[in-house]
Amino acid sequence: MADVRDILELERPPTPEITKEAILGPEKVKKKPLTTKVSKRPEGMHREVFALLYTDNKDAPPIFPTNTGQGYKQLKAKLGMRRVRPWRWMPFTNPARSDGAVFHHWKRTTDEAKDYPFAKFNKQVPVPTYTDTEYLQHLHNDSWSRQETDHLFDLCRRFDLRFIVIRDRWDRSRFPDRSVEDLKERYYDICGTLNKLKASSSHETKIYVFDADHERRRKEQLKRIFERTAEQIEEEQTLINELKKIEARKKEREKKQQDLQKLITAADCQAETRKSEKKLTKKKLQHQIRPRVDPSVVEAAGIKFPDFKGSGVSLRSQRMKLPASVGQKRTKAIEQLLQELSIELNPMPTEDICIHFNELRSDMVLLYELKSALATCEYDLQTLRHQYEALNPGKTLVVPSSISGNKETSRNYVSAESETAKQKGISEIIDVVGSPGTPNMT
Amino acid sequence: MSGPTDYGPDSGGRVKGVCIVKPIVYGNIARYFGKKREEDGHTHQWTVYVKPYHNEDMSTYVKKVHFKLHESYADPNRIVVKPPYEVTETGWGEFEIVIKIYFHDPNERPTVTLYHILKLFQSGPDVMQGRKMLVSEFYEEIVFQDPTVLMQHLLTTTRQLSHGTWKHETDFEEKKEKTLQNILNAKNKIRYEIGDLKERVKLAKETIVKFKAEITKLQANTGNVS
Repeated sequence: MADVRDILELERPPTPEITKEAILGPEKVKKKPLTTKVSKRPEGMHREVFALLYTDNKDAPPIFPTNTGQGYKQLKAKLGMRRVRPWRWMPFTNPARSDGAVFHHWKRTTDEAKDYPFAKFNKQVPVPTYTDTEYLQHLHNDSWSRQETDHLFDLCRRFDLRFIVIRDRWDRSRFPDRSVEDLKERYYDICGTLNKLKASSSHETKIYVFDADHERRRKEQLKRIFERTAEQIEEEQTLINELKKIEARKKEREKKQQDLQKLITAADCQAETRKSEKKLTKKKLQHQIRPRVDPSVVEAAGIKFPDFKGSGVSLRSQRMKLPASVGQKRTKAIEQLLQELSIELNPMPTEDICIHFNELRSDMVLLYELKSALATCEYDLQTLRHQYEALNPGKTLVVPSSISGNKETSRNYVSAESETAKQKGISEIIDVVGSPGTPNMT
Repeated sequence: MSGPTDYGPDSGGRVKGVCIVKPIVYGNIARYFGKKREEDGHTHQWTVYVKPYHNEDMSTYVKKVHFKLHESYADPNRIVVKPPYEVTETGWGEFEIVIKIYFHDPNERPTVTLYHILKLFQSGPDVMQGRKMLVSEFYEEIVFQDPTVLMQHLLTTTRQLSHGTWKHETDFEEKKEKTLQNILNAKNKIRYEIGDLKERVKLAKETIVKFKAEITKLQANTGNVS
């Protein structure tokens, strides 16, 4: 309109000042959809993938060729340049059909002579036939009449041994209702007999035996599983969990038993070395060689102090440091025992003291282990006793009182337990359960 | 025990099978001023030291002893190169002093490090009044396993430090005897108890087997209950 007004020289409005906005304004509008079209990421596409496809032009082109081969894009479709093969609309018969029906379809002229290709998928199951004499001689069955058997074989042929369908189409007006297993059993029984008859003259053939009972049981089981109620499922789950727990406990107990055996052997070894040490002192240490204890056994129970055989300077007191493998609980037990015996935690580090102090603490660990093993045993005994009492009400098993260190009193276990606190013995101050404040009684 | 004949290129210049032990005593003595000092608030004068247990001149094999004091001291790293290896200071608080001993042979693992907690306060009326010296010292042994030839020479040719009687504040010989006897007694006691406990554990184990048998028998009799 402005141009027309210009030409006609009609009341021209004062020329507006040319500003940057005035020039860029319309351009901006034009540009905007373009840029958004390029940079907008389709929903669902990963940012990284999008960045690979549409990088902004600020990026410098790669220095090395990154895609030297064909790449993932073929520029031109490779089209065949040969002459087009002609197709024709023609009739055909399906050899798989017995009715000879004729249909039409498109076919290449070159394939004209060929059979209908899908006919080969029509697989026929060979269902055996039997003669009257064969039936009378071999196939007679008290619960199956000849008519019923014939009906079965007829259905088998019609439905290609799909026994579920066969049972569905079973003529219930003429014959008694039979289960799938019954039908299968009869069918495979006859097949097997016929095979045997034919094979006996020539050579052995493999005969398929249908285990109807097994099938019945299997289906019954499946049915039962299927028909479980929610409560029953839950109960089963809890039972399974219980069983798992019991088995885990059993395993743990067995492991403890093994550990116990190790401990006893270790204790035996220590006793032996002690004896031999005594002998040595009697012999006034004629031989300095001490019989070596099987190290693996002692290691399992005592403390393995690091060897200081390496050359160089060291402080003697370093050799009395407890290795970290001892653990906090045992370290605490050792400290408790040392205090009880009024021995310094860090005694004067002479060679003798060092050796004996380390051996002492190793023994203490063994004592600690034995003590906790005994506690486990006592617990087990109590459990077993309760089990026995539950099985045999009114009767009980008597736990030997000497197990709990109680040699004088021969009362029952429960009172003996409370009695143990008054027993002598330094080991009593070891608190294997871990509750502090056990009274000392030495 | 093999002699110094083992010395060869493969032994790393060390004399295999030789072990030299140097007992030392380290610790501190302290004395209370009797009151807090006005100008810096210090209350005690103390001396931290390392000295040989036997009367010998350690400087033949010790190059220097480094005492690292608390950082609040003007020059916390005190290095002493000749006996007596000690640092005397005043202060008001207890802290850990790191004592590093350097040897003349650089092939020996450079240092041996001792940690001593400076002791100033102790219960006991005499010490508290400042009438008696507070002593907190410890016995230690430096073990030189397979020393170098040089070090072996240095270690075995020490001279006497002083001609007087060499005495320590603590009677370590008596303490040694007592401690060893204590430990040996404890060992016997523990071993006796190990034997006792072992018997008890054995008995417990047998009883468990017996109980189990009883239960199995019972279960067999009553039919499968569980």
